[in-house]
Amino acid sequence: MKLFTRYNRINLFATVIIFLLAGLAFYFLLKYVLIDQVDEDLKIEQHEIQTYAGKYQHLPEIIPVRDQRTSYTAVGNDGGESQFTSMWLKDDEKQPELFRQLIFYIDVNKQWYKVTVRKSLKGTDDMIRSIVTITLLTILLILVVSFFINRLVLKKLWQPFYDSLAAMQQFELGKNKRPQFAATNIEEFRIMNETLSQATAKAHEDYRYLKEFTENASHELQTPLAIIRSKLDVLIQDEHLSEPQSRAVQGAYEAIQKLSRLNQGLLLLAKIENGQYTETAPVNVSEKINAKLEQFGELTASKGLHVSTTMDEKAVVEVNPELFDILVNNLLSNAIKYTTERGNIDIIVEEGLLEISNTANSAALDESRLFRRFAKSGSAKEGIGLGLAIIRQAAEVSGFETRYVFEDQQHHFLLITDKN
Amino acid sequence: MKVLIIEDEKGLSDSICSYLDSESFVCEAAYDFPTAMEKISLYDYTCIILDITMPGGSGLDILKELKANNKSDGVLIISARNSLDDKVNGLKAGADDYLTKPFHLPELGARVDAIIRRKVFGGKNLVKIGDLSLNIQEKTASAHDKLLDLTRMEYDLLLYFTGNKNRVISKGAMAEHVLGDNMDTAGNYDFLYTHIKNLRKKLLQAGCPDYIKSVYGLGYKFSV
Repeated sequence: MKLFTRYNRINLFATVIIFLLAGLAFYFLLKYVLIDQVDEDLKIEQHEIQTYAGKYQHLPEIIPVRDQRTSYTAVGNDGGESQFTSMWLKDDEKQPELFRQLIFYIDVNKQWYKVTVRKSLKGTDDMIRSIVTITLLTILLILVVSFFINRLVLKKLWQPFYDSLAAMQQFELGKNKRPQFAATNIEEFRIMNETLSQATAKAHEDYRYLKEFTENASHELQTPLAIIRSKLDVLIQDEHLSEPQSRAVQGAYEAIQKLSRLNQGLLLLAKIENGQYTETAPVNVSEKINAKLEQFGELTASKGLHVSTTMDEKAVVEVNPELFDILVNNLLSNAIKYTTERGNIDIIVEEGLLEISNTANSAALDESRLFRRFAKSGSAKEGIGLGLAIIRQAAEVSGFETRYVFEDQQHHFLLITDKN
Repeated sequence: MKVLIIEDEKGLSDSICSYLDSESFVCEAAYDFPTAMEKISLYDYTCIILDITMPGGSGLDILKELKANNKSDGVLIISARNSLDDKVNGLKAGADDYLTKPFHLPELGARVDAIIRRKVFGGKNLVKIGDLSLNIQEKTASAHDKLLDLTRMEYDLLLYFTGNKNRVISKGAMAEHVLGDNMDTAGNYDFLYTHIKNLRKKLLQAGCPDYIKSVYGLGYKFSV
């Protein structure tokens, strides 16, 4: 739910309640005042009748007056205090109509009379009704107008907030573009923008330091690795090495080999992230694949792999050639490495798509973890766990999408080079 | 023949020195920029192994100094930087070859051998070793004047062996030489065993002594 909607809803609800209560109070107050007025009139009438009776010793003749009815009834004795009541009576047209009546007792020549004076409340009722109607209409008008004003004003007032939100949505850690916040003179938004600015700058810096750290650490590791390896190369020249010693050295060789692969992988990732492969050129995909297949020819032959290609020879991608080489190399290398002997590798090249599939000797891989660093599946014991991470990183930097599908007992790795 | 190793990491420098050291080689080491400058101005070397990043100055400056003095020393750059630009810059500045750290010493040995072959023997195309002669230009090998039928890979391995004769070469170094960065793809060394077995067989069939000896599980030695 949008803030506006929420605000408007609360606002509308509260306003309606308040106006309704106010309307009710207004109705009763008005009614009270108007009935009081009618009572005053009735009292004046009573006074007139009393004055008349006191002066002429008989009751005044009843003159028919619109909306007023007077009647006398002879009674035995004094009925007590005068009293006001409201009641429904039939009017001239036999319609029920509300009347206000005053009953009092008067003594004319030793004879008690009960005098009833009634006044129709029709007029006042109409008045109250129109007043209430006008009031309600006004309330409705105010509501509608305030709803739209709120909407417009709020939208305008909150605009800087939405601008900042849009800027933040564009923000991506690792990209060089910092979010730009529009200047605003609303203090809250200004503070928010400043805070966001600072936070993104900080995140950016930290991220850069981290990347630099990875790259530097990898660089620093190169030299000791080179020394260890060179020492081993020198050590095995010794003719007096025993067999157990040789085995120990071989173990050390393999560990060093893995370590330097790992290091090179991390270094490559850092370089890709640092945007060292930015210059692009058109590269023919099928030519690249063919060149790589030739490079891997000895390996595919020695494993007895059957490689089939379905390639659109005109498919071209705009990409950094070095990065594309890394991508294709890693994809093919993975396919060759993880296909069992005499398995199949199928390569499909279309405009905007490169798909490399290989016979699987395992179940489907977990795609959510597959492209993460060091997310190894059980069978990948020889791998360093960076191959697919490098593929994804290189693809991302090139604006490609990587996808994994498991189908027909085959792993399919898709590189979507044209997302349209 | 004299080889100068300009490398600030003493550990690495020592290893290179003891690996290359043989009857035909004399190694000298320079651990910093001033010593290196002094040595190259005083003596001539057949080959200089040059680290680019070192205390006191850049290896590239040493290279420039060499070229400015018209010295014909062969130069092999060894560097931790492996970007294409670094390689291109190094080679443009006049280096003969470029090797990225960490490397296998046999790889270095083969590269130094190639540089020396070009410098000392004036790019002579024929390399004689034992009963074998290798034609570098045509990438062929023959024994007792009979051409050997070698695959490209076998010829590569043979040349690599001759560049490291009488030294033990680890399996890893050989695999990396043959497959480059893709040696991980192989997963194991079976691939290498096959090629070496074939090469060995062909050499024996041509009437050569068994030059290639397996050294425990570690690697191979080409003894002449």
